[in-house]
This record gives sequence, C-alpha cells and structure tokens, in this order.
Amino acid sequence: MERTQVGELEELVLLAVGSLLDEAYAVSILKVIKEHTNRNIDVTAIHSVLRRLEKKGLVSSQMGGATSKRGGRRKKFFSLSQTGRKVLDEIMLVRSTLYNKLPKITFILPRI
Amino acid sequence: MMESPPRWADRFLTWFCHPDLLEDLQGDLYELFEDKVESGQPRQARLLFIWWVLRSLRYDVIKKTSLKNTGTMTRNNLKIAARVLWRDKFNTFLNVGGLAIGLTCFLLMGFYFKQEMSFDQMHSKKDQIYRVWVKEDYGNDKVFFNSTTPLIFERILEENFPEVEKAITFVNNSYLVGEIPNRINEQVSIISPDLFEVFDFQINQGNQLSPLPDQNSIILSESYALKYFGKEEPIGQTLSIQIGDEERKFAVSAVFGDLPRSSSLQFDMAISSSNNENLYSERALNAWFNVFVETYVLLKDQTQIESVEAKVQEVVMTHLKDQVEYGQYQMGFQPLTDIHLNPEIPVGIAPVGNPQYVYILGLIGLFVLITAGVNYATLSIGQSLKRQKEVGVRKVMGAMKKSLVGQYLMESWLITLVALIISLVIAYSILPVFNTLTQADVDLNFEPWHLILYLGLVIVIGFLSGLYPALILSGLKITNILSGQKAPRRAFYIRKGMVVFQFIITVFLITSTLIMSKQLNYLNSKDLGYQYDATVSVPLYPDPSSQRLTEFINSAMENGKILREQLKKYPEVSDIGMGSHVFGNQGWGQLSFTDDAQIFRTFRMLVVDPYYFETFNIKVKEGRAFEAESTLDQRESIIINQAAADYFGLQDPIGKKLPSQEFGMHNIIGVTEDFNFSSLHNPVEPLVITQNVVPIYDGISDHGYGDSPIPKLVFKYTGNQLTKVEELLQNEWEQIFPGEEMNFSFVEDNIRTQYENEQRMNKLVSFATILSIIVAGLGLLGMTVLMINSRVREIGIRKVMGASEFSIFGLLTKSFAPQLLLGILLSIPITYWLMRDWLNNFAFRINISIDIFMLGGIISILVALVVISAHVLRAAKANPVESIQRS
Repeated sequence: MERTQVGELEELVLLAVGSLLDEAYAVSILKVIKEHTNRNIDVTAIHSVLRRLEKKGLVSSQMGGATSKRGGRRKKFFSLSQTGRKVLDEIMLVRSTLYNKLPKITFILPRI
Repeated sequence: MMESPPRWADRFLTWFCHPDLLEDLQGDLYELFEDKVESGQPRQARLLFIWWVLRSLRYDVIKKTSLKNTGTMTRNNLKIAARVLWRDKFNTFLNVGGLAIGLTCFLLMGFYFKQEMSFDQMHSKKDQIYRVWVKEDYGNDKVFFNSTTPLIFERILEENFPEVEKAITFVNNSYLVGEIPNRINEQVSIISPDLFEVFDFQINQGNQLSPLPDQNSIILSESYALKYFGKEEPIGQTLSIQIGDEERKFAVSAVFGDLPRSSSLQFDMAISSSNNENLYSERALNAWFNVFVETYVLLKDQTQIESVEAKVQEVVMTHLKDQVEYGQYQMGFQPLTDIHLNPEIPVGIAPVGNPQYVYILGLIGLFVLITAGVNYATLSIGQSLKRQKEVGVRKVMGAMKKSLVGQYLMESWLITLVALIISLVIAYSILPVFNTLTQADVDLNFEPWHLILYLGLVIVIGFLSGLYPALILSGLKITNILSGQKAPRRAFYIRKGMVVFQFIITVFLITSTLIMSKQLNYLNSKDLGYQYDATVSVPLYPDPSSQRLTEFINSAMENGKILREQLKKYPEVSDIGMGSHVFGNQGWGQLSFTDDAQIFRTFRMLVVDPYYFETFNIKVKEGRAFEAESTLDQRESIIINQAAADYFGLQDPIGKKLPSQEFGMHNIIGVTEDFNFSSLHNPVEPLVITQNVVPIYDGISDHGYGDSPIPKLVFKYTGNQLTKVEELLQNEWEQIFPGEEMNFSFVEDNIRTQYENEQRMNKLVSFATILSIIVAGLGLLGMTVLMINSRVREIGIRKVMGASEFSIFGLLTKSFAPQLLLGILLSIPITYWLMRDWLNNFAFRINISIDIFMLGGIISILVALVVISAHVLRAAKANPVESIQRS
C-alpha cells in the first residue's frame, strides 16, 4: 500500500522535522538526531536527505531571516507537509500493529 | 581574530554548488565550523570543513547550468576552429606542417637527450650506489687518478665501513670461449656474485637469489644464451673457457635479461669473482697500487656517503702508513647516476658520454621547436589581418575579449594537436633510419604516462604560440576595424622581430653545420705524419701460458714472425711489420719514472720490429731508423719523437740517453717528426720507440695500458679487392693457429672511428638544420603569399604605370631583405661563441674564418630566394588588368 518509500534515515529526519516545529533546519535536525540516537551523521547527508524528502513532497521549505551568525547566510527552515505527516502515520501504524503482535512477556508498551 | 574556514574550500563550494542550494548549505557549514572553533578545535574545524565541502560534491548539488555552458562553448569553439582551419587549407597546411616538423626535430632530439640523461636510472637503489675512485697525489704533478681500483677495495670497504651494505667488483677480461675449433674471443666479465643484489638486473632463468653459486658457474644474457645454445634449455649446459693455459668448464647457472642500453654496466657473460684466487697472483689480490676493477658500493638505507668519506684516510693509513703520507692516497665515491656524463672523473670500464654534446643537441632540438612556434605566431598574426572583419562582427555581436582569446587559443591548440600527432607518427616511423644515419642508438619504449606528457606539450606549445596572435586579434578596436584601419605598429615590429629571431636560429644552424663539416674534413684529411691507406692490422696470438707481460709480447712477436713468412708469398701483401700498438687505437702504453733531477716524467711507448717504420712510411728526421739485421738495434737502440726530445730537454739527442740512471742499456739513434699517433683531440705526446722493452721497463715506476699491448701484424694490401684480405688471412691463420679466432681491421677505419662522437653530432646537427630550413622555408612562403595578396593591386598599378617585372621582383624581395640580413649578422656572435667552445675539444682544429660565415649567409639567402621566388615571380608577371579588377 505504501506509495512513498521512506528509508531509515529519511524517517528519522522526517520525525525530527516534525518534532522541531518551526526550528527545523539542517543543523538543528543534526543535533536532535545526535541527542536522541547518539548517531554522528554528516551534515551533508542531512542536506541530501532533506533535498530528497522535499522532492518527494514530504517536507516543504522556506528561507528564514538573516542573522549575524553563519556569515550572514540565511537558514532554510523545513516543515512537515500533509503528505509527510500521513506517511509518518502510516509507518507508525504498521510498526505498532506488528509490534503489538509480539508476545507480551516482559513488559507492556505504552500507547503512542 | 575569528577563525575562518579555508578560503579555497569555500570558493570551491561556491563554484560547484547550485546557487539555489548554496546559501543554506554554506550557512550550515559555517555554523558547524563556528561551533567547532568555539569548542576550541580550530584545526579540526578547518579539516572538517574541507571534508564537508568534498562530501557535498554530489550529483544533485552540482551547478549543472554552468558546466553545461562551458561544455557547449568549448564544443562551439572547437567546431568554429575546425571550420576556420578547413576553410583556409593553404595556411593550415603551412602552420601544421611547420609545427609538425619542428616537433619532430624536438621529439627526436628529446629522445636522444633523455636517453643520455637517464643513464643508470633503472635501479631502485640508485641513490645509494656509488662507484669508487682512487687518487694518488704525491705533489709535483705526480698524480694517478683512476676509476678502476685495486681488488682489495671490496674487502676493505665491507670490513671497515659499517655504512656499506655491500661492495662489489666488476671487470671485463677477454678469453677464448667454446670448443676447439670454433673458439671465439669473448669479453667475459668477472663479477661479485652479489652484484644482482645491488643492481636491479632481471634474472629470467635460474636461481634468483644466488645466480652465481660457485666458481664453476657462468651466467649469460638472453641473446648470448640464444647465440650459444639456440632453442635448447641453457641452464646446466657447459661452456669451455681458456683461462691461462687451462681450459675450464663452466656450467650455465642463470640467464639474465639483456642489459638495457642506458646501463653503464654492460656484460653478456659473467663468472664469479670467487675465481680471483686462480686468476690473479697473491700479490695482485692484496695490492693497493694495482688498479684494474671497477668497485661499486651500496650504502645502507639512511646513511650518507659523507660519513664514509670522513673515515677513508683513517682506514687507508692503518694499511699504508709505511708507504704513503696522510692524504696522498685518496679513495672517493661517485654517484652511479653521475658516471655517464661526468668528464671530471676519469673513464673506468663504463663508457662516458660528452655532456657538452648532449646539452648542445638538446638545446638545438628546443631551438628548432621555438622556431616552429615563432613561425606559427608570425604567420597567424599575418593571417589575422584577413580576419579583422570577423573579429569586428563578433565584437559587435557582444563577444567579450575573454571568449575571443578562447576562440583563437582553441584554434592554435587544435593545430598543435594535429601537428603533434603527425610528428609522433613521423618520429616513430623514421626512428630506425634516424638511428642508422646518426648512430644515435635511441631506444623507444612507449609508456602510458608519455600521453600526459604529450598532452602537456600540446597545451604549452599551443598556448605560447597562440597567445600573442589571440591577444592582438581580440585587442583590436571595433571602430578601427570597421573603419578599415591597419593593425597597430607595435604588433608589426614584434612580428618583424620574431622573423629575425627565426632567421638567426636557422642561419646559426647552417653555419654550425658548415663549421663542423669543415673540422671533420680536416680531421680526416690532415697529414698525420704517416701513411695508412689500405693498411691491415691483425692482432697476434700470444702463448696463453705466458705469465708476465713481456712473455706475452715476446711470444706474440714469435708467432708473428711465422705468419709473416707465410704472408710474404702473396704478391698483393707488402711492407709487413709488427708493433705493440697501431694507429687508430687510443691508450698506447703509458710509462712513468722520476728522472735524475727528481722530476716525474710520463711518456708513451711503442714496441716494434724493424719493419714497422716502412709499413707506415714514418720519417726519421735526425739519425736513422732501425736496421733489419742489426742485433745492436734489437738490443738497445731506441728512437724518440720530437715531442719527447723537447720534453726530456735533449738537444742533439742522437747518441744520448733518457734522463734517468735506472734505465737499462739504451741509446737514442733517431728522432722522428711529431706524427699524430693518437687522435687529433690531443696534442702529440712524448713517444719512445724500441724493439726491446727490457731496458725501458727497468727504469720505470708505473705503467698503464688503455690499448692491449699484445703485438699486431701490419701490412699494406695492394690487391684490388679488399674483401679478399680476409680469405687470404684466414687461410694462413688456420694452418698456423688452428682453432683460434682471427681478427683484423683496416687502420683507416680505426682512425675514422676515433671521431665517431663528432661524426654523430655533425649528423644530428645536419638533421636539425635541414628540418629547421624546412620550417623557416614554410614560414617564409606563408609570409610571401600574405604579402603578395595584400599588395596585388599595388603591383597591378605599378605595372600599368610602366614598372618592369624585374623591378617588381626587386620590390617584393626587398621587404624581407633587412630581416634576413639582420638575422645573418646577429647569428655570427652566437655561432662563433658556441663553435669555438666545440672546437676546443680538439688539439688540432680549423680557424673559424669570415668566409665560412659568408658561405652560411649566402646559402641562407639562396634558400630564401628559392622559397619566395616562385610566388613573387608569378605576382610580378600577373596581368595587371586582372589583378586590379579582381580586388
């Protein structure tokens, strides 16, 4: 049923964009992922993923205002599009459905 | 100050990154960079920044439009360039032809230059290998400087110097090889068995680690394995070698690849130096003053030769403190790669080239190439006048100067590329002819990296020769062009200057060729003081069991007498004589002694029989020659040359003696003219001629032989067919010395080969001269055509007004005359300076006189006239009505 294939890193970035609300740009996404997964991802990889996601229509972007930091360069902020949100929901649904079928021996998962 | 990211990386990012993505990406990289710097790791930050930039280089980030644009523009330029060149076929032919010939000359000279310069570069440890020299300096010019050393050096070096990884010896001896009756005199090298651990020569068959395991092993080159055993498996076969009076069997233990031409060490057959105990006397093995082998050392990694040199005196003195004073006996080290072209160190066994000749030839190759480049530049500036309108229109349409320069450079690159391809084809295909013609022996191996070199050549030459025309053309002002004004004066003068430069080089080459030919002619025709036409020299066969040099000489002389009696019966053989040395061979026996006034003296010695003087018709100017039947002459008479009389300070030398009491019983009976017994590179040295060596040997302290002192039989051959000599000699030789190899040569040929190097150089320079004349001729032709085309109407009007064809011819020719004359004039000092240098190689030389420059000038003018006359004549004869109407 899934029309849009989303890879593991893409999913992670998509989640980060969603969770960062208005503050999602490459560096902040990088930091969130590092914070939560302790994975060191190259910034260029994040850019690459963001471009891919934008092309698939899962995120949308707009340029922010100029700051004195970053050599005066503006940031490009990303936000989750409706399709993006839908794709995330679908992924999560599949995951939780399957996960719930695991024998509940050790502990009970809290609901999302 | 705030740290900033590496500028080049940042610029690179800006260059390749798509502008839509740039701002955000660059901002992010800056931000991360700043974070890293703030956390106190500026160095790491910079490295990371570079890493990110490189990592950003992804397909979807690259600025496609700009690259695509450059590509399209290049393709467009290329297409237009090709069309322009195709349209103007005559000029293109001149341009490509001139460059191709210049490049051919450059390539061939370059190959030769490279071969000479890259001697001994094939060894991986080449920088750690040195050849040992030895110099004894006792003051008062008593100096013995040799690149061959005593045998003992190998052991001394290995035992006393921890820096020395290995020391090896190398020497060539000549032995009879093979089975009777098919024995051949061969050079057999005696080498240290570990030679192959020092030099990277390829072992093709046999044991790689110890190719020469023992005394009875022999190794052969591929071509010698083929020569002796054909298709049979060579390993394990046996070869007989006559060493002294013993015939020994050697088993082939390994076969090595033929040694490359650019190796100083050359051998085809080698046995181990573990045989030395059998080959040399106990005394020779331990001698310090008897030099005959080349010794090479391999230093350990990370050690410097200076640390060895510093200890040499100390070691020498521990062995020789009773015989020499400190510093008198020196041992030195010459880098392996320095051997081939260093004339400062005496020649050992490895042959040495003349670096001066190599540099001159390399320079000439470069000169001819520059001529061709200049040729192209002048021609294309000339042709550019035609293209002014094109430039004007392009500029009006908005072309920028940069893109115009690009367009014209593209044309010159295209031309250079085509010219290079043509010249490579020519160079590779005429190489065999070039080699036989010049005996330059150039060996060509194509390697892929050469492609890059050739491409670089195209870029550089195309750029240099195309830049100036491109700048001139693109710098034209639109208003000037469209209103029909001429090109600026400055360009005009520069063009004339370039033409003059081209003439200078061409005239220089022509005159140099003339001077060299004249000198070589002089060398070959100078009266040497003896006659050598149709004279044959046959090395005699000495008794192989002889121990001492005198025994060798005497036994060969005895054998020579037998051969002489047999040859006497042939009417076409006359004037048979014998001598230890024959003209045409360098290195006659050199002896030295300290005279009664304690002056160290050196002279050459020739041992002869009484008939030698007649064979060569040597004139005795005072006293008399040897008398055939006189036993007194056989025992104690000597003859000296005028140089010896002067050197020893003997006035009225007849009846006097050499200036030392040490000599045995001897008496000077005659003085000869100073005939040139060695090549004309050298002045005539003092010479002592004797029949009996004993009294002379008694008085000398040192001796050395560059030429084998084993006597040769010499005779005049008056038969019609020179080829019959061999047959005749072979017949008699077979009967007297069955199974031994007979060699013979014509003295004339040997004398000529003394000037082989110079002959080769002359041929190479002539070759370059012809090519450069063609290049200059093509250039001149192009310029003539251009000039005539621009003056067609003027010529027509002049003819209508009554000018004669002759005066028009004169008018047109005159426009080149000042440049040509200036070229001739300016070439004189350059030629004089370089050629005087070259002539200094000879003790006997011609003078550079004014007539040779005049001849060179006349030849240049004639060539120029021939080239331009056809077109000029046609223009002068053209029907004025047509030429006026046409334009």
